Amino acid sequence: MTTPLLTVEGLTKHFPVRRGILRRQVGTVQAVTDVSFALQPGETLAVVGESGCGKSTLGRAILRLHEPSAGRVRLRDTDITALDRPQLRAARRHMQIIFQDPFGSLNPRMTVRETLAEPLLLHGLATPRSVRAEVDRLIELCELSRWHAERYPHEFSGGQRQRVGIARALATRPALIVCDEPVSALDVSVQAQIVNLLQDLQRELGIAYVFISHDLGVVRHIATRVAVMYLGRIVEEAATEALFARPRHPYTRTLIASAPRPDPTAARHRVPVRGGTPSAMALPSGCAFHPRCPLAIDRCRTERPELRRVGQSRAACHLAETVEDNAISAVSADSPALLRRLAILEQARAAAT
Amino acid sequence: MSATDIPPAEMPPPVPDPQATVPARRRWWRALLADPTAALAMLVLAAIALAAVLAPLIAPHDPNANTRTVMLPPAWSERGTWEHLLGTDGQGRDILSRVLHGTRLTLLIGLVAVGIGGLVGSVLGLLSAMYPRIDPWVMRINDMLLSFPAILLGLALVAISGPGVLPVIVALGIASIPDCARIARSIGIGVMGQEYIEAGRAVGLSDWAILRRYLLRNSISSIMIFLSLRFGQIILIGAALSFLGLGARPPASELGMMAAQGRDFLLFAPHIAAIPSVVIFVIVLCANITGDALRDVLDPRLQS
Repeated sequence: MTTPLLTVEGLTKHFPVRRGILRRQVGTVQAVTDVSFALQPGETLAVVGESGCGKSTLGRAILRLHEPSAGRVRLRDTDITALDRPQLRAARRHMQIIFQDPFGSLNPRMTVRETLAEPLLLHGLATPRSVRAEVDRLIELCELSRWHAERYPHEFSGGQRQRVGIARALATRPALIVCDEPVSALDVSVQAQIVNLLQDLQRELGIAYVFISHDLGVVRHIATRVAVMYLGRIVEEAATEALFARPRHPYTRTLIASAPRPDPTAARHRVPVRGGTPSAMALPSGCAFHPRCPLAIDRCRTERPELRRVGQSRAACHLAETVEDNAISAVSADSPALLRRLAILEQARAAAT
Repeated sequence: MSATDIPPAEMPPPVPDPQATVPARRRWWRALLADPTAALAMLVLAAIALAAVLAPLIAPHDPNANTRTVMLPPAWSERGTWEHLLGTDGQGRDILSRVLHGTRLTLLIGLVAVGIGGLVGSVLGLLSAMYPRIDPWVMRINDMLLSFPAILLGLALVAISGPGVLPVIVALGIASIPDCARIARSIGIGVMGQEYIEAGRAVGLSDWAILRRYLLRNSISSIMIFLSLRFGQIILIGAALSFLGLGARPPASELGMMAAQGRDFLLFAPHIAAIPSVVIFVIVLCANITGDALRDVLDPRLQS
């Protein structure tokens, strides 16, 4: 096994909640707690979970766009969490981010050329004389036309803007890109194009992705491994195929079962989920999922399960070994809807090349 | 392998950009002049400014020279002469010449005061927006400044240094700082919440670069429209201070002061007060319209 590109150890981000004139701290939002994983060069780790589970915070904490409360992040041999500000700015060359909102993430007052030239000049990757050609290359790499460069973001469609966002992330030739729901703001046909573009770029440039998403269809298509988050913690992590074939954590099963299917005639294998997500300010005792878990036993209410190795996966459930015998496994990961979705993605891909 | 080594992906044949031939700057001007009202306002403002700058050359008479014909009405009225196009004031001075020179001083007061207030206020406001840590302190000092009315500040400064143009400019400039800082701060806070600020940080930009290229560029057009409105207000307050006898000292001409002096003759020769007042009105109106148009043009999203 080669040395990992990215190592995350015990990463934690808690936001203090302050109230009143004196700004007294009245609580803590435990957005991300004790998250650890490693990522190999050229690999894609998908982070999935429902909204509010801390996926985006995790992505930003890795890049120190949010200052982590605890834990360490290492990119190759560099301890990102130990860098001072000038060092961190220099290190940003190697780790970039693609944002969810293609409308808000581009400076409306800068042309595409200015936006793309900025990181190149900042990190000394181009001289003022060579920057023009370099930006043109980036634009074409992301399948835009050269004359798009002189335009402002508002003159583009959502998919085109997202390509500009990708081009900006690629400009410094980073080893790691955090993709924060890069396709969830786009419609399905454009999603397929962007996902394919990301995959092609990964193949050509060997970039590793941390791919944050709530869309299991896309995740299954792009990810090598998947980490499932619930209320700030990773509850299961496994290779993509293994996760969809044999989900170990009841929450993972629920997620897979509730993935939307664009076919009203398909049989619905619904696992009833009781209640809503608890507040991240007041987590349940024991296993955070126990109030909604169909399998919860007394032990789950008092003792929090650690993330541990179960077969090929890592799962945080007391019943991880036995749960697969349960009735929920009737939910096949290869549901017809997912297969159909993947087929559409493949078709779009074939059409694009 | 680096990005430069990648052969460009297969591309459809390049489509020519329909707008490629029009440089960005010319597009601005086109947009700016597209609105006939704005174009007219700018034309009038430019003409007034030009006339004010060239006042010593184009004024038909010495603005301070007395003639023997006092309260002469404008040329188009019954008793008017073409010698004094806009007539003469209560001391027999040529009103046209005095208006030209007076506009010069009025515009100078307005521009410099807006410049001081806008510059200091914007810097304070944007820094406040960028660094929440200093925000409460800046804003409390701001509130203190805000509690002084501009006219009171002017009176106080004049009491210290004696009447003159400079204390009036300083007073109006200082009085503009808190308003401008508040506006700049609230605009800046809105901009700082945008995702592209985070994108800029993710690229590795320094605070200075974010302030200049992201925060300032996205705030400046809204601040500009405020300043153009403020310019009109300042000219009015400046005229009011002159009217009260605090600004320019006689015999120098200033539009507000001219209006004040004309007050004594309002019943016999209303044009003495009316003409400088109309000029003030036109300047303020044109400044406001231009400000509106400028905002539309500086915001690329409002261009079609």
